[in-house]
Amino acid sequence: MKSKIKKVLEEAAVNTFEDICFMYQVPELKDIQKNLTLEAAAEVKYRGDYTGSLLIETRGGLFSAIAANILSIDSPSSPQKRDALGEIANIICGNVVISLGRSKLGYKIESPKYLKKDELLKEKRQGKPLVEITMNFNEGRADIKFFVDGDFVAKEKKG
Amino acid sequence: MALNILVVDDSSVMRTIIIKTLKLTDLPLGDIWEAENGEKGLRLLQEKWIDLALIDIHMPVMDGEEMIRHIRENDQYENLPVIVVSSESDPGKIEMVHKQGATFIHKPFKPETLKEVIIAITGVSNEVKD
Repeated sequence: MKSKIKKVLEEAAVNTFEDICFMYQVPELKDIQKNLTLEAAAEVKYRGDYTGSLLIETRGGLFSAIAANILSIDSPSSPQKRDALGEIANIICGNVVISLGRSKLGYKIESPKYLKKDELLKEKRQGKPLVEITMNFNEGRADIKFFVDGDFVAKEKKG
Repeated sequence: MALNILVVDDSSVMRTIIIKTLKLTDLPLGDIWEAENGEKGLRLLQEKWIDLALIDIHMPVMDGEEMIRHIRENDQYENLPVIVVSSESDPGKIEMVHKQGATFIHKPFKPETLKEVIIAITGVSNEVKD
């Protein structure tokens, strides 16, 4: 189940970055971008049969590049950058929650929340994500983590 | 025939994405109007000539479902082609969209997908006729 969800996350993230941001992964940058400093993060919470969140962290200039590409402007403002990142998180999350299985009432996805760097670094509230991926672009790096509250794997095994 | 289009979404970023994607379809586009919720969208429908509406589901003040219901109850534009653009995953909500006579496109979407849907529901073409 975890591998299926990870595959869905990868597909959703790739499609979102390609179709919305016109950004294409460059896997060769993986080692070069390994130690980039965190610059921004956005979180989207969801609730349904399961609750949890999707967190997207950006590094190496990707935060600005996402907004610049989406809005076709050179220097996006801080609110524009936050909105753009939040929208990306929103779209990816909407595509991933489907993989948790059919929910009787569907999943409600809350408005994205922009996390300040110190808020993110200080709080260990997120715990360990169920699945996570890293995407490397010429414009920077994205780390996307999908969290499910409770012991999802154990619940799924029980059926 | 150029399409006059109404884009309704509470996210200004999303409206930009939709409009950008519309332009990439290479379809004949006329005026493009924007609204941040269903209520403002309905006001624009009354004031402007609109050929197609692209509507998000989840919006404050008036959501997409309610806006479409108002559209279908109004003689003036009850047959307006409507595309719901959403990352919604609930099959029940998607079915509701279809029952209201709207077409659903899941985010993210490519210009080709949007173009196919627009051609299918409006009959517009970008082919030059001799």
